[in-house]
Amino acid sequence: MAYISIPTYWKSLPQRYSLIGSRCKSCGTINFPPRDICVGCGKKAEYETIQLKGRGKIYSYTIISAGGAPPEFSEQERLGGSFGIAVIELEEGPKIVAQMTDCKPSELGIDMKVEAVLRRLYEDDDVIRYGIKFRPIRA
Amino acid sequence: MNSGVVGYGVYVPRFRIKRDEYVKAWGSFNARGVDEKAVAGLDEDVVTMTVESSFGALKRAGINARQLNGMFFGSTSAPYAEKLSSSTIVASLDGPSEIFLADFGFSTKAGTAALLSCLDFVSSGRGDLGLVGVSDMPQAMPIDSLEHGLGVGSASFVIGKNDVMANVEGAHSSSLEIIGERYRRQGKRFLNDSGIGAYTEQAFNQALTISVTGLLKNLGLKAEEFAYAIFQQFDGRTAYDTGRKLGFKESQISPSMTVTKIGDSGSASPLIGLCAVLDIARAGDRILVASYGSGCGSDAISLVATDHLVEGRSKAPIVESYLAQKEYIDYLTYLKFKRMLGEL
Repeated sequence: MAYISIPTYWKSLPQRYSLIGSRCKSCGTINFPPRDICVGCGKKAEYETIQLKGRGKIYSYTIISAGGAPPEFSEQERLGGSFGIAVIELEEGPKIVAQMTDCKPSELGIDMKVEAVLRRLYEDDDVIRYGIKFRPIRA
Repeated sequence: MNSGVVGYGVYVPRFRIKRDEYVKAWGSFNARGVDEKAVAGLDEDVVTMTVESSFGALKRAGINARQLNGMFFGSTSAPYAEKLSSSTIVASLDGPSEIFLADFGFSTKAGTAALLSCLDFVSSGRGDLGLVGVSDMPQAMPIDSLEHGLGVGSASFVIGKNDVMANVEGAHSSSLEIIGERYRRQGKRFLNDSGIGAYTEQAFNQALTISVTGLLKNLGLKAEEFAYAIFQQFDGRTAYDTGRKLGFKESQISPSMTVTKIGDSGSASPLIGLCAVLDIARAGDRILVASYGSGCGSDAISLVATDHLVEGRSKAPIVESYLAQKEYIDYLTYLKFKRMLGEL
């Protein structure tokens, strides 16, 4: 199980709840999640925090089915069936991995426009772990 | 009051179950006037729903969450018996760390209690801008006919003093001791009720008669002076029956009756009804909102729509657009979504 302790999870709440990233003051690259070394210029630069808008498109995806879900998501798979995991290319540039929600795996496609929503990811240590998922933007 | 609604937003989950699914499973469907109801996804709760409706309210208010001085959360279905839900909501909205938090619960009157407290918070000058977020997903045992009507939904409001969309001209409340009507003991998951419709209706009638007639008397108004009257909606009939007794016509009540499409959304029901009315009201329209909480009590509030409402409402999705976006599920899937068949 990909166990994440409460203190470790707590430290990353701004990025998990509200997509807070950082912009490198040296080269302008937006880093998400925030990093010590900028992915753009490779320097240990100064940063300013930035809230990402949470809109983007599916860069790639896969489908998790019976037996394939990590233990913390097995209840979700048992009750809700197969679900999609996508690499989302955000409008601001960064690519992030997240679960898809409010859609069937069969609806997913490359370049599908998506938006971020706060959802319950799983429970561990009797504590609810909230985080960002993405759902299709339906016109 | 010198504070009012400066923004509003709503959220209804995507999933629906039709009354026919209950008829197939149980032979009957006991929520009068409910055609279908909303169902939360497996990964949704009252916190995630409140975040969604709050985004709409902030957009319509044209403000950033960092500008908020207070957050007032109302629900009978908070995920924790002890731990603030409002802090999760504020964090997710990227709100400030210097903010007054208040979480309300314990009856379906929690929504209007949160709203009135926020109005007082801003009127008194303790804060300039407050957020009210109310969501609910009441639960009962599937074998209990009380469960049939239980739905889900969320409404949020930004309260302020400038560019007000709906002014609040007064409020009046009531308290009566009613036992064994709708209740849930501490630590229990499922609601109970007396199972006697007449007992519930009598309590509902009495509590609303005191709050509404008192409000009208204080303001020197008659029922016909309201363009809309919004009542607590635990089914699709009682609001009409009580409204009629208080002098309101069906045409004043029906625009707010979202219960027919989303079910009983508990503490959110009168406020989702208010959002549905704010979606269509014209400047100058007078709006009555009257909640009911078992036990029991009622809050009646009178609002008047302004020009800012007409200007600002297109900035976020209306109730109708949430009602239109839906995916039907069958009863077995419904039981899984509600974790009624067990949890891992």
